[in-house]
Amino acid sequence: MPAIRNRIRELRAAREITQQQLADEVGVTRQTVIAMEQDKYSPSLETAFKVAMALGVTLEQCFQYEPRAKR
Amino acid sequence: MALSYREKTLYASLAAELLVYCPYFFFHQQNSVNKVAGMIAIIIALQFLLQGVIAIFTRNRVTDERDRLIELRGYRAGYLTIAALMVFGLAMLWFHATVGNLRMDNGRMGLHFLSVFFGMLVIADIAKTATQIVSYRRAL
Repeated sequence: MPAIRNRIRELRAAREITQQQLADEVGVTRQTVIAMEQDKYSPSLETAFKVAMALGVTLEQCFQYEPRAKR
Repeated sequence: MALSYREKTLYASLAAELLVYCPYFFFHQQNSVNKVAGMIAIIIALQFLLQGVIAIFTRNRVTDERDRLIELRGYRAGYLTIAALMVFGLAMLWFHATVGNLRMDNGRMGLHFLSVFFGMLVIADIAKTATQIVSYRRAL
């Protein structure tokens, strides 16, 4: 399990935003959004803030750090 | 999972490299300067053509931090490959020089060395591209 988990898929679904729309808003590729949603890629702090802003939540509401989880 | 622009270009690069380099090395054409020059011209033309076609047919050509991270991983794999091959090549050179079957007076030795070093570069480049493709497939 990765140390940084996120709720991007859940928050995106609640706002009815597609992966492509979120990717365009954040300035990344759709593949990066997919990788983040699957917890396979931990974004940089800047991208994490952009994702949280695009989803209208705070960073803590979108990303969680679980120190005991293995990366 | 659909392929991103960078991923498509990597598949095209790998295909072009395998298409040109494999016949070159497997059919022992390395003992001719003209064929080396021809191969370099073909790989440049093929890469130019393939990358152009991909650029035309891909609307979204965004690259991001993950692409750059994967690119760095590829370069690291390429560097490690060429460093390992260099050590191996130098060890082989030392071994053959020690047992006395390295004939430096042979006129084709220079071309042979050129071919070996070029082969190392090719293998390292293929390792770099393959590492990047694997990183994309594993999501990183």
